[in-house]
Amino acid sequence: MRIFLALLMLLVPGVALAANDVVLNSSVFVEKAVSDSNGKTKVVLEEPKVVVPGDRLVFVLNYQNKGVAPATDFVVTNPMPGAVAYQGTNDQSAQVSVDGGRNWGALQVLKIKESDGGVRGARMEDVTHVRWPMRRTIAPGASGKLSFRGVVR
Amino acid sequence: MTKLWKMLVAWGGTVAALGATPAFAAGTTADTTIANTATVSFSVGSTAQTPVNSNTDTFKVDKIAKVTVTGGVNTSVAPGQTGAVITYTVTNNSNAPMDIVLSAVEPTSDNFDVSSYQIRVESGATPGYQPAEDLVAPAYLDEVGADASRTVYIVSTIPGALATGNIAQVDLVAQLHQGGGAAAMGAAVNATNNPLNAANGVNTVETVMDDLAGTATGDGLRDGKHSARDTYTVNTAAISVVKSSRIISDPINTPLGNPLKAIPGAVIEYCIAVTNAAGGSTASSLTITDGFNTTYAPTSNNLQGNATYVAGSARIGATVAGGVCSGGTAVGTTYTAGPPASVSATVATLAAGSTTGMSFQVTINP
Repeated sequence: MRIFLALLMLLVPGVALAANDVVLNSSVFVEKAVSDSNGKTKVVLEEPKVVVPGDRLVFVLNYQNKGVAPATDFVVTNPMPGAVAYQGTNDQSAQVSVDGGRNWGALQVLKIKESDGGVRGARMEDVTHVRWPMRRTIAPGASGKLSFRGVVR
Repeated sequence: MTKLWKMLVAWGGTVAALGATPAFAAGTTADTTIANTATVSFSVGSTAQTPVNSNTDTFKVDKIAKVTVTGGVNTSVAPGQTGAVITYTVTNNSNAPMDIVLSAVEPTSDNFDVSSYQIRVESGATPGYQPAEDLVAPAYLDEVGADASRTVYIVSTIPGALATGNIAQVDLVAQLHQGGGAAAMGAAVNATNNPLNAANGVNTVETVMDDLAGTATGDGLRDGKHSARDTYTVNTAAISVVKSSRIISDPINTPLGNPLKAIPGAVIEYCIAVTNAAGGSTASSLTITDGFNTTYAPTSNNLQGNATYVAGSARIGATVAGGVCSGGTAVGTTYTAGPPASVSATVATLAAGSTTGMSFQVTINP
């Protein structure tokens, strides 16, 4: 099957880059407070083996352009898993949506329509999607890392 | 991984800003799968390409096992009282339905133990303890939902002959058992079955004990159970009676304005002060009786053969000052001609620290 696809690509000129030449990998870590021998508490990241409501999660997305052509209009989108409340990202270029991906922007400018007709400012827990639109071109071989925080509802 | 660490260390400043863990009640149900998939869309040479999905990272939300008992209620009881109720609330703070086994412990740090007790559970039909509705607790509370509470009553019989201020303490202990099977009690949640250092898996559900230490002996932090304490405090009434008398009139000195003497024909008023000592409980259904010598067979209205009751003179509810009754009402008083003759009165309630007076008059027989 793979060989067939490779042959197909060779036969179709104009498709400079096959879709699977950009790879995206998602992983999740859980923050745990650990006391050291001096009684000081530090936060470590662990595999999410024991996760209970209220635990803080760090989602990490690794991307790489494994193709031979530069990729533009590069946008990484991550819908929030249902049981996770968004807790922010350190990346200023990130945009969020609170309506399932219809409208995007900074959290401060987004509004939520309440069932009684009122409108309020959107909060972290309202976020349904987070995305990173990249202005720069992702050159062949280039890679990067994106991350955001969440908390188990 | 080093890169990731660098980034996260650089990001460390925001960790503190996020503050304490938000208060999630029971939170996401145990066994929920959290699956994360991201998508990248991009163009090559201004041609939009088919978006690429990431792998789906999945893990399961584990079971947080926590039960909370609240008590702290003190109930005032009388010696010998039956059906004395203290109330607790048992809440399943786990993120899954759990079975809960209830038991009561009487600590040794108090003054007395109750004669007997029953653990009963609020049925929900009528709020508050109803003996006919709120039945004795079953062997276990079956499938108590996440965040659900039960009102639990301990109904006791109090021993007799106890002085005011004696205290009996009762700890209600709620032990968690695994839920998940209706009408079947799951395995106990404890350090043996759910060790904190147990091996864990990303896609298996582990039970993590998170209960607080309770009041019962041996109820520690994160041991699958919790307890709280209520108390019974004995509050009884201490009644004392003081009788005094004074001369109201005599046939010779009253007209002359001289000091009165207890001569034949003089009218004497008896004042009986009944006091319920301060600090106790309200006394109810008191009957005050002033009986007379039963060995002497008096004629009607003839008290001990020496004095005669002044018809209609009895009063109850009088104010007493210096052994003298004033005011009061005839309602509630009874004169029994006998023999034996007596004057009595009933008092519905007498609050702690208060006094009421009963008075009546007699004439010294000529």
